[in-house]
Amino acid sequence: MAAKMAKKTSSETDEILAKSVDSRIKKIVERALARNILGLTLQEANLDIEVGPTPKELVYTRDSLRLYHYRPMVDEIYRIPLMIVMSPVARGYILDLAKGQSLIEYLLLQGYDVYLMDWVPPRREHSHLGMRDFALDLIDESIASVQGNSGETDVTVIGYCMGGLLAAMNAAVHHDGPIKNLVCFATPVNSNGMALYKKWADSESFDIDLIVDELGIIPGDMIGASIQALRPLQKQANQMQLLNNAQNDTFVKASMRFDRWAAEQLPIPGELARGMFRDFLRDNKLVKNEYMLGDQRVVLGNIQIPFLHVAAEYDHIVPTAASSDLVKMVGSEDKQEIVVRGGHVSLVAGGNAVYRLWPQLDQWLGLRSV
Amino acid sequence: MSSNEKIEPMQMWREWFVKSEKAWSQALTDMMGDERFSQGMGKYMQEALHSHRMFSEAMSQYLANLNLPSRSDVLDLGDRLGQIEDTLAALQVELRDQRKLFVNAKFDADAVSANTDPRPARTKQPPSKA
Repeated sequence: MAAKMAKKTSSETDEILAKSVDSRIKKIVERALARNILGLTLQEANLDIEVGPTPKELVYTRDSLRLYHYRPMVDEIYRIPLMIVMSPVARGYILDLAKGQSLIEYLLLQGYDVYLMDWVPPRREHSHLGMRDFALDLIDESIASVQGNSGETDVTVIGYCMGGLLAAMNAAVHHDGPIKNLVCFATPVNSNGMALYKKWADSESFDIDLIVDELGIIPGDMIGASIQALRPLQKQANQMQLLNNAQNDTFVKASMRFDRWAAEQLPIPGELARGMFRDFLRDNKLVKNEYMLGDQRVVLGNIQIPFLHVAAEYDHIVPTAASSDLVKMVGSEDKQEIVVRGGHVSLVAGGNAVYRLWPQLDQWLGLRSV
Repeated sequence: MSSNEKIEPMQMWREWFVKSEKAWSQALTDMMGDERFSQGMGKYMQEALHSHRMFSEAMSQYLANLNLPSRSDVLDLGDRLGQIEDTLAALQVELRDQRKLFVNAKFDADAVSANTDPRPARTKQPPSKA
């Protein structure tokens, strides 16, 4: 009798358990389906998601350079115009990702006259363009265009990542030139701080000449893969975070904009890649004051203008070990470094940058833009 | 929502992955920094580039025999289009500059300035000085 009772109780328990497991599985499947359907809807709706919404006009073009002027948003602006030098390996719209998530929009609203040196994919005829062309000729011509367009002789230059490197090189060579203030975001100067790239560059088996001679233009996919190698699983982690936040429209849209930007790495001219690889990464000439642009030596100590460097504490692309020497080497008396929490991209496009970093940038620039 | 509904094994796994991603990535990056990996990658690149060249040459010959354009032909066409776009962009800039000169010269200023955005005054002072 007792055995019968025990058997019955056991079968009832099994039944309840089975129902519970069934219901759990059903809920998991329903939730997964709802999430995937929502994800697909958003994916479809945002395939042509708008980026770079701030109105602008083209003021100068040469080779892969596009110099844009953003339409002022206030009635009174600072005297000195700002020219932003974007990294030649990345699309400039990261600085103007969306309304309310745009460094450029923020600067315009604070009263700055903003110009952007942006890049389009170079063609095979541009494969000979090297570091000198980018750091001197193209920046010089852009500054001349800004001067002509704004009617002002002084220009403040802001460089992001490799754009900062180009701007700093220009300011070091033309130390008595028209650049009035210089701001660099996450700018590498010491390749010893970029451990993986340095190891690759030092390896004799890595033949940059063969790659450049064979390809002419280094494909964006190759640049993207080398950046991804610095944090190989980040993309997967981002996708999982996206799934976990699939019900949050704002998160999904922001994530898709970032994904689009990250997937659109720009190709670069072979000569530029060769210069970066040999002189900067392998021989680390910049910190040794041995970097030559044509017949002109780049000595960062020659920079005497007000200088600000902004670095991110958790930047895995340009670690602080690669950028912290910049502020030490620059010869200006008026120089400052701001290190904020966050990563390489969050400096210019992160949700918190608008509250944390950008007001500090505005304060620094405002005092020096009159 | 009951507490049961909050438990989702896949979500928990994803959260664990996101949290531990940095450590896994660092381990992989360390592996890629190894000299043997650099040598292997260098060798792979060399082989890939050589085979790419051989395959491209063979394929372009084959496509030519079929009277079809090769990748190189398509790239040539892309370059030509790019040059045309560049010229158009330069013309656009030139036209705008000419228009500004036209306005500045006050030639028929009333008619033109109606379509021209006035530039804001460059007199702004930082908040602390204002």
